[in-house]
Amino acid sequence: MPSALIICTEVFANGGIQRFNRTLLDACGGLGIACAVLSLNDSAETVRAHAHDHRHHVAGFGGNRVRFAAAVARQLLFGRHRRVLIGHINFLTLCVGVLALRPLRAATLMLVAHGIEVWSGIGSRRALALGRVDRILCVSHYTRRRIDEQVPGLDDRRFVIFPNALADSWRQTVPADFTRPVPQRFILSVTRLEPGDRYKGVATVIEAFSMLSDAEVHYLIVGHGRDADFLRAMAARFGVADRVHFVRGVSDAELIGLYRRCEAFVLPSGKEGFGIVFLEAMFFGAPVIAAREKGAVDVVRDGETGIAVPFGDVIAVKRAIERLAADSVLRERLRANGLSLVTDEGPFTFASFARRCLAQLGPETADAA
Amino acid sequence: MCGILGLYVPGGALPPTEEFIPALERLRLRGPDGSGTWRDESVLLGHRRLAVVDLSAAGRQPMESTDRRFVITFNGEIYNHLQLRHELDPVGGWRGTCDTETLLEAYRTWGIGCLERLNGMFAFAVWDRMERTLFVARDRMGLKPLYYSHTNGRFGFASRPGALNLLMNQGALSIDAEALRIYLEVGYIPAPLSFHEHMQKLPAAHYLLIDARGLRRVRYWDYRAIVPDRHRTVRSEGELLEEFDELLKDSVRVRLMSDVPLGAFLSGGVDSALVVGAMKRAGVAHPKVFTISFNEAAFDEGPAAAQIARHFDVDHVQETLDVDSLVDLLPAYIQEFDEPFADSSAFPTLAVSRLARRHVSVVLSGDGADELFGGYHYYPIIGRIAPLLGRHPRFRHVAQRLLAALPLHRLKLLAGALGSRDAVTLFHYLRSVSKDYPTLLSADAAASAGSETWFEQFASCFAMDLSAEEIAMRLDAGLTLPDLFLQKVDVATMAFSLEARCPMLDYRLVEWGMRLPLSFKLRNGETKYLLKKALCRDLPAGWVHRPKMGFGVPLAAWLRGPLKAWADDLLHDASLLSRLPLERSRICELRRLQLAGEREAHPLLWSVLMLLCFVQSHDAKRVAPFAYREVA
Repeated sequence: MPSALIICTEVFANGGIQRFNRTLLDACGGLGIACAVLSLNDSAETVRAHAHDHRHHVAGFGGNRVRFAAAVARQLLFGRHRRVLIGHINFLTLCVGVLALRPLRAATLMLVAHGIEVWSGIGSRRALALGRVDRILCVSHYTRRRIDEQVPGLDDRRFVIFPNALADSWRQTVPADFTRPVPQRFILSVTRLEPGDRYKGVATVIEAFSMLSDAEVHYLIVGHGRDADFLRAMAARFGVADRVHFVRGVSDAELIGLYRRCEAFVLPSGKEGFGIVFLEAMFFGAPVIAAREKGAVDVVRDGETGIAVPFGDVIAVKRAIERLAADSVLRERLRANGLSLVTDEGPFTFASFARRCLAQLGPETADAA
Repeated sequence: MCGILGLYVPGGALPPTEEFIPALERLRLRGPDGSGTWRDESVLLGHRRLAVVDLSAAGRQPMESTDRRFVITFNGEIYNHLQLRHELDPVGGWRGTCDTETLLEAYRTWGIGCLERLNGMFAFAVWDRMERTLFVARDRMGLKPLYYSHTNGRFGFASRPGALNLLMNQGALSIDAEALRIYLEVGYIPAPLSFHEHMQKLPAAHYLLIDARGLRRVRYWDYRAIVPDRHRTVRSEGELLEEFDELLKDSVRVRLMSDVPLGAFLSGGVDSALVVGAMKRAGVAHPKVFTISFNEAAFDEGPAAAQIARHFDVDHVQETLDVDSLVDLLPAYIQEFDEPFADSSAFPTLAVSRLARRHVSVVLSGDGADELFGGYHYYPIIGRIAPLLGRHPRFRHVAQRLLAALPLHRLKLLAGALGSRDAVTLFHYLRSVSKDYPTLLSADAAASAGSETWFEQFASCFAMDLSAEEIAMRLDAGLTLPDLFLQKVDVATMAFSLEARCPMLDYRLVEWGMRLPLSFKLRNGETKYLLKKALCRDLPAGWVHRPKMGFGVPLAAWLRGPLKAWADDLLHDASLLSRLPLERSRICELRRLQLAGEREAHPLLWSVLMLLCFVQSHDAKRVAPFAYREVA
């Protein structure tokens, strides 16, 4: 059975990278690729609670860097994995350094470049280490471009655009009724609400929302975090506190209902490495409004699969919401095109993702990019 | 330039027009050349006119459209109105040459969309008699003021808060606690807040739509999301200089539209010199330019201005004063700013406006260039400190403690700055008048939100990946400029019925400035790099790179000297202080420290004094107290 070693930050938690890792394990499991996973931040208890796929072996180190580094070194020096997938650039120099002690290694070394962690500050040591990597799996074209700008001269053939996909679990989730009262008509955002996440653009949506002529529409923000009070105060200042609702503790099953009912899914985020949340919205039929920034442009193409606006442009967000509300033909076209990305032969289906996994981690294509 | 106001009561029950007059009279200095009112059963509009374009009766306001559906009251100038006339076709043809008529026809033809076509400074209201909606708008950069109040189903607006108070018949002074706190913190009140609890300032680049169902406030233009060009090599410095020259020249050219004499302010600095140079290039052979010179060399830009004036061969009018004589303008300062206004540079602005009005009715000024093109000294400082904010918290903590222990005031400031979270909070820290102002406030008032969240809110829609310096400039352009500096220019010039026009704030130049790479604003610690380069084409480099003097007055010395008794009377007036949520003992202590020279507390004390003056004069202002001030 082909095997791969995956060295990552975390698997069983919220967040785009964690979700990518889970999708990767699901896909590998389906393909019969057994993975040994070394996860820095997952605790042993978390792993026991979540790791039900017995084809993989997940080891969690609960944030203990020393034990984690020792385990990585042991696996790289003595393991017999044919593929080594580094899930975060922070581990790159460690892995390359250890592998330098094993010059006759046979494993293909790959790095997953998600987004913000590689968009700046790669530095000379990591740049040198990147030269030792066989393949760089970039989740978006923007991520690839940013690496290229910082480390010019890397062979084109080393880069692989390896976008994320809608997790298969969504397909199997049975929608549940949302037990809390939901406004008749609403637009929706789903995001973390931390002060460091203001690039998600929720503040822009609140300001744009306050300018809408249609006072029947509400704004639901699903998520929680320390920035909720700032955003609440902002909604109050714009005079829409009674129509902006912060909702937390929403299960995936409940979220499906919200995606299906919303008039638009709006997240004009400025720093999405890929923007998997847009795929979720598309899968459940929500027309999407996103910012024309970074990795999101691979998913949300203006006028085709959604409406793309400049980041921070409150007037453009307002117009996009109004346009969607007024133009049912546009709405239906965006819905249909969005859905086509995540169903059948769409590029962001789980099946497509699995094919990409097979190409990179499978047995026959070890050296094909 | 004019003064406008209006009242909308959807259910009817408007007061008689006579009750409206005191409020209109309160705007007399903004428009000494005439006044007018218009009413129907639910709307009353008023206007005070300063005739600048089309001095005939055809320019009178409020003005009805030819089909009588729309009525407008308008303060400001539409510089491209002649160009717009080519696209418009009013029923029955044009009645005069006034830009008001063009604006009204533009609204009749394009509705709200007319705003995108306007190049000008304006605050206006249009009543649609058919749809029963009132449309109120303010220009892109906030050059012309507009205050409004929406209480008990009545909507009122006016150019100044004093007039609006009279209009809305608001009795007792009810102070907005948040505004008070922010005022003490940064010296001004960001829109939409105003000092009065029931009143709001319409933010720049916004309009209001009011009908029987309520009110909606909408932004129609926004520079915040404009992405700067990152690559310096896209256009060469020469190309950028050409573009800037052309834009400035055209911006000045359109602002020469006037049927009355027009001149310019000239200090010894870069911005006004650029404007005067552009006036010459735009075809004004010998523009009149105005400078206040001081006998005290430390404040005097007179010789520098005279040098520039000679070089440009302009008609230079200069008045030389003792700086202490500016104190005589204190009554005008207090009377004209209906809200507490803490920037003492209003004194020289009042003085130069008084001088200019003796000769012209309209002046061009260089305001706005500092915010757009990187003129303030703290931008390079922010650029140097910001990278340190990303360092490990322990490093910052140690550095802060070390710096705070040293005896130099600037190092203590740096220590405080290192406690900032990001560029926005760093800007806020450096821009605030006082760091310990909350100790002056009573516990309740101190609990309200400060200005930091307003800054963060405004910045949350900035383009991605801006540098700390660019963030600071955009915050200044959006908050400090309209609510502090442009308010100062508007009020100080209007106090003498003078119209000021700011070519640097032409929206085309603003958008261009937002795209300009940072390296053409700040380079090697030098501010306004490109503007200085542009001016070096006209003037010797030594003149261009002279240190900036600013519009300072010796406030600390005044508070110990000519204004001491006045200040002490106010600060010891227990009944006055009791009307504000302030800690009297702390204020007395601050005064003691300032008199003893132990602390440079004069900016904060000045803010408190202006606050007390405002409360003191509030009741007196409820009746129209002013006669037209003779300036000749």
